[in-house]
Amino acid sequence: MNYTKILFSAALIFNIYTVEAKSIVIKNAMIYDGINDNAFSGNILIEDGLIKKVSQSSIQGDTVIDAEGKIVTPGFIASDTEIGIVEIGALSVTRDDQSSIYSIGFSIHDAFNPNSTLIPWNRSNGITSAITLPRNTSSPIGGLGSFFSLNGSLQIDSEQDIAMIGRIGGSSSSSRSEMLALTDDILSFASTLNNKSMKSNLDINQIIDDSSLADYLELKPRDVKALYRLINEKLPLIIKANRASDILKLLELKKKYNLNLIIIGAQEASLVAKEISTSNTPLIVNPTNNIPGSFDELASNINLSSRLEKEGIRLMFNASRDHNYHLIRQGAGIAVANGMSYGGAIRALTSNVAKSFNIANRGEIKPGNIADIVIWEADPLEPSSMPEKVFINGVDMDLTTRSTRLRDRYIKNLDKPNTYRD
Amino acid sequence: MKNYKKLKITTLFTILLSFVNISSAYNAVPFESTYVPMPHTNTLFRGANIYDGEGNEFLDTDLLIKDGKIIALGKDLPASSEFTVVDASGKWITPGIIDIHSHMGVYSAPGVTTSSDGNESTSPVTADVWAEHSIWVQDPQFALALKGGVTSFHVLPGSANLIGGRGVTAKNLQRNTINSMKFPNAPHSLKMACGENPKRVYGNRSQAPSTRMGNIAGYRKSWIKAEAYLSRLDEYESKSDEAKELGYKPTRDLELETLAGVLRGEILIQNHCYRAEEMAMMIDIANEFGYKITAFHHAVEAYKIADLLAENNICAAMWSDWWGFKHEAYDMVQANVAIVDQAKNGTGCAIVHSDDAIGIQHLNQEASKALSAGLKAGFEITKARAMKWITSNPAKAAGIYDQTGSLKVGKNADVVLWSKNPFSVYALAEKVYIDGAKAFDKEAGIEPSSDFDIGIMNPNKNRIQE
Repeated sequence: MNYTKILFSAALIFNIYTVEAKSIVIKNAMIYDGINDNAFSGNILIEDGLIKKVSQSSIQGDTVIDAEGKIVTPGFIASDTEIGIVEIGALSVTRDDQSSIYSIGFSIHDAFNPNSTLIPWNRSNGITSAITLPRNTSSPIGGLGSFFSLNGSLQIDSEQDIAMIGRIGGSSSSSRSEMLALTDDILSFASTLNNKSMKSNLDINQIIDDSSLADYLELKPRDVKALYRLINEKLPLIIKANRASDILKLLELKKKYNLNLIIIGAQEASLVAKEISTSNTPLIVNPTNNIPGSFDELASNINLSSRLEKEGIRLMFNASRDHNYHLIRQGAGIAVANGMSYGGAIRALTSNVAKSFNIANRGEIKPGNIADIVIWEADPLEPSSMPEKVFINGVDMDLTTRSTRLRDRYIKNLDKPNTYRD
Repeated sequence: MKNYKKLKITTLFTILLSFVNISSAYNAVPFESTYVPMPHTNTLFRGANIYDGEGNEFLDTDLLIKDGKIIALGKDLPASSEFTVVDASGKWITPGIIDIHSHMGVYSAPGVTTSSDGNESTSPVTADVWAEHSIWVQDPQFALALKGGVTSFHVLPGSANLIGGRGVTAKNLQRNTINSMKFPNAPHSLKMACGENPKRVYGNRSQAPSTRMGNIAGYRKSWIKAEAYLSRLDEYESKSDEAKELGYKPTRDLELETLAGVLRGEILIQNHCYRAEEMAMMIDIANEFGYKITAFHHAVEAYKIADLLAENNICAAMWSDWWGFKHEAYDMVQANVAIVDQAKNGTGCAIVHSDDAIGIQHLNQEASKALSAGLKAGFEITKARAMKWITSNPAKAAGIYDQTGSLKVGKNADVVLWSKNPFSVYALAEKVYIDGAKAFDKEAGIEPSSDFDIGIMNPNKNRIQE
């Protein structure tokens, strides 16, 4: 794995200065650990930003927080977001999600803004980290997403370029058959790449010159390097597809090129659930989306998550519309209301994301993992209940948001003019 | 909201009829509702927990519906053989949910260009167009909304234009003509839009409006024309029959007819408006020309002027937490709905709307989020009161409160039986009644499917049939 190493040690040093106590114990927690189906009552020891111990017997610590039997989960990991690279959807000047020069190798990583208002907002909703993806381009595959911790630190805690995105489906400009053929051709080209012949950009430019496809697509060395990683490092390839027949074609490509495929959308997945299950392909679905929004999504059904879970498919959740990533919780609740297991829904928000994207040491409450932990005031899948405490890297995070500040400005100290209120 | 009580729908409709008759040489009123309820079931719901949509909660209480109307609500109501008894113990009953802001039918599913009929964005003022003329009655989204407990909904044109056209209220019973879905005696609305959308759409064409000040000028110019038209109309109508025959009859103008209908108080203004200062300006314009704004829609910044809205008896229709998709949606606070509700000693009119084919299926959950945020902000609001945000308040804003929106005796039996408390994400609508007729029954497998759903994936099945 060639990930940029997370600035974890820097974060730890920072923590030591900001947190007085060296160890924190969360006691009397009802723990959904992101592993087991059922919750268990227990205590959690956090030290040096890590989960040190999870035990049913009592633990000593510098600071003890009594969860009073409330539900405690791993911090949720949003699997499909634009957090940090889009501040306001309709304002292109605040969007850093596309490139007109790079295609397959376009990385959004360096655009990440830890001061984005979306970070405290999502954190206050129990989302402690996120995968941020670029916008789909006209190319059927292309663009690299990264993983970010939502601690808001300018010392960005990330894993760079952990997944490539793509899209297959109905289009007003070209046949899906063309998209599939082009995907096949790009993957075929990617399969010919080997590290020895890619020592310098000069070498890579030679490879591009020698390939009519690479030349036609005007690939740059960054693009070719990304393709090399896709095949040789088994980089997760997240393809957006909905129609059942498209999903089957993607499973064929997965087999042919030994891809680490993740399908996103997958509105008709229940029609080909057995095949998806057999191929061990994880899916990112929106459990609230039962709209036949296009002719690719005719089988859309509110029970999608439940049906896929029964086939043993690993699920993750997303939400429609930008800025609404916090709705994955409500989506998970709706999935449970329509037949999915509760433990499965929690995993879809936590460990399933970590596993599918090879994010080390997150998504589960177990010793050795990073202490991204949420104490919920009530059931986390009820959208009316909010986190009471959120820990990221073991730090008890402030849950103030711009939204709560604005609220307070208009309900408190009303005797002063609004601009002189807090 | 008290104003609505004065608007007797029947008188209003008579005025509307006479108005159209005078301006036309012919007598047929076009596009009238031809709605006929489905056969009703006289039903006794036994031992339910009830939110009545008026702000009250009743536990372990019976509800009786007969001949399509609510006839009694109380403990231990006597059963007789003419009633089907539904054991509702441990379950919850609410009035049918009403969405004041929907684009179902005008932005149908699948979302294809050939059915994208919500914005007549060819001119910034299109008061002459009516949303109902765009509605594709086979939109599969209606049935999905029904399963979310929605019994009536208001369809508006989009927000590309300053004045976008008339909105229509429909019963959520899919029929093969729109007239047969139209809510009987419901007034039309007129969609207006503030802010970014009109100025973007027309500004991009180097046409007015390209600024917010251009927006304001655009509305005022239209109302000046409408005033002139109305005075010509009033003058003509005040003449004796003989004088009418001799005199000049004002030529009908579809655009000005709609605007004049607003000035006469017959057509209700539904105003897309996010920002506080723009809502305040729209109130000024309404006062300048003597019309009333019924509701501001989306109203992300309503919390900043909640008292002003309450003083003017204007509802705000809001999302619980959508934000950030554009600049004017940046200042979202989750307590927005609650702050509007609590304004001026709780006289505010708050509505939770969807503007979305998924959101409309979960308005109960949206209300739940808004309530939770209100409680966190320190307000004391009951669930029973919050239920008004998706029932009686939108009914008032649609001008149909005398007929539906709460479980008052005599009103239409638009009723939802929920598996659990509807403020929970796990609650599902089990049975939905419209005018006392069972439109959806999860257990009995009664649910509508549009023509679109038939045989589209498998010739022998419906679209989402298992």
